[in-house]
Amino acid sequence: MIKRLIVGTKYYFGLYPPGRNVHVLPDDVYLVSYPKSGNTWTRFLIANVVYPEKNPDFSNINALLPDPEDMSKRDLARVVRPRVLKSHQYFDPRYPKVIYVVRDPRDVVLSEYHFSIKRRAIAEDYPLAQFVSRFVRGELNHPYGTWFENAASWFYTRQGHPRFLLVKYESLQTGAMDEMGRIANFLGISATPERLAKAIELSSADRMRELEKKQAHLWSSTRETRQDKPFVRSAKSGGWRVDLPETGVAEIESAWGGLMREMGYELAVPSLIPAGMANL
Amino acid sequence: MLAHVKYAVKYLLGRDQAGRDFTIFPDDTFLVSYPKSGNTWVRFLLANLLHPNETVGFANINRLLPAPGVSSRRFLRNLPRPRILKSHEPFDARFRKVLYLVRDPRDVAVSEYHFDLKKRYIAADVTLEEFVKRYLVGETSGYGSWWEHTVSWIGARQGNPRFLMARYEDLLSNPIPETGKIAEFLGIRADEERLAAAIERSSADRMRKLEKQQADQWTGTKNTRQEIPFVRAAKSGGWRETLPAHCVEEIEAAWAPMMNFLGYELESRELNNKTVPAWVRTDQPI
Repeated sequence: MIKRLIVGTKYYFGLYPPGRNVHVLPDDVYLVSYPKSGNTWTRFLIANVVYPEKNPDFSNINALLPDPEDMSKRDLARVVRPRVLKSHQYFDPRYPKVIYVVRDPRDVVLSEYHFSIKRRAIAEDYPLAQFVSRFVRGELNHPYGTWFENAASWFYTRQGHPRFLLVKYESLQTGAMDEMGRIANFLGISATPERLAKAIELSSADRMRELEKKQAHLWSSTRETRQDKPFVRSAKSGGWRVDLPETGVAEIESAWGGLMREMGYELAVPSLIPAGMANL
Repeated sequence: MLAHVKYAVKYLLGRDQAGRDFTIFPDDTFLVSYPKSGNTWVRFLLANLLHPNETVGFANINRLLPAPGVSSRRFLRNLPRPRILKSHEPFDARFRKVLYLVRDPRDVAVSEYHFDLKKRYIAADVTLEEFVKRYLVGETSGYGSWWEHTVSWIGARQGNPRFLMARYEDLLSNPIPETGKIAEFLGIRADEERLAAAIERSSADRMRKLEKQQADQWTGTKNTRQEIPFVRAAKSGGWRETLPAHCVEEIEAAWAPMMNFLGYELESRELNNKTVPAWVRTDQPI
């Protein structure tokens, strides 16, 4: 009862993070991805293009590109419009304009594994193969569905829509200038190549690592986690080829191969492709 | 202010409407559909299957097959498990076991138009053509467009053993085997006799009679225009008579790939079975 009173009071004054129930405004843009798919990197990239004068870093990134799960309803209502918000939600029909960042699930699982250790969700010696099975079945301690459900729910509903932009993490790495040009264009920002190059430079893995060393205690996602494990880890693609056991690769591909191939991820075991929704 | 206080008291007692925020249990099953796709009919079917000794009607359907959108958190928490709950949500990862009911979007458009008139969601002078324009872009419903809804569920869950898709049209034309499939999916043991009895008790005629007696006792019909019925045609293909040809064309042009996938024959022959990948759909309205 007391707990309900406290929750109720916070609710009344809008002092709670609304999460999925965020009040969507018609000029909002949502930067959406499954967790561990380069969302934070893209957040830095966008912040450095849109708000260069704010010198984006871990101490102010939550204010510049707010996360409705990490900012109170009251503060969200005060963010200067048009807002660019960060989200890990699966399909939400209310989001009017969406940048969806997708990453190879074979890399996502590795990143999620290391992040889970950092957050003390699993022990350091937790078997990777077992973690992969949980990842495929969607048994992780977050509410965003499986990689497949999250990606499919956005991709199949919105792909081709002029207010939906699909960005591959891998393309951001190999062709950052082009991809950032597309993103700036989608956001309606006319950014010079110099401004884009500067934003990319300021969001490099090396710079983010340096910032993390100084500011890990200032950011909600790194505070109170194991400080011996970095948040900005390899920041590379294709790490699964070395680190993911063959059985894990096969497990992911046999579950989600259809969508992976539709999104341009080459399969290691092509014979495993299940029927996807490619014909829709 | 008074409304705020009223809500605060309800919240404290756990009697506020749960909406999307309620505790979901791993053994829950959800009956999900886009609005106006036969959800209430199937709720009656299931309630009659599950409670053969009760008289299922509009007055008690919210208790027998609850809808989180209109029930309180406390009521939902105290229900005997495993629960079967009704929902109109587009893809929701928290729903682990889902019976997904789908209906021809051309019929859905007509049904939703009449329902929105009944509910006074739209003014009495809004035409069907005007309505369909907004329907196509998902502006007539808080659950997204028909395309987004069906694609989000079927795209994310088709092939999953805990996902069953049922077509409204098949339930109409072939009720016993189709209801049997659903009963099996839900783990309800029902022989043909019991299936037939449940179907009979959920017939459109019977539901119309119940609506006449109980319209003031159900959230879906209370305080709505009583001259427009909730249980309307209860048929499939009604769009052929009522939906203007250019509206049919617009719906088919926008959603042909999914309609083909679901086996709905299109008037525009050139769109029939034209399988195009989702991402080259340049025809989608903005």
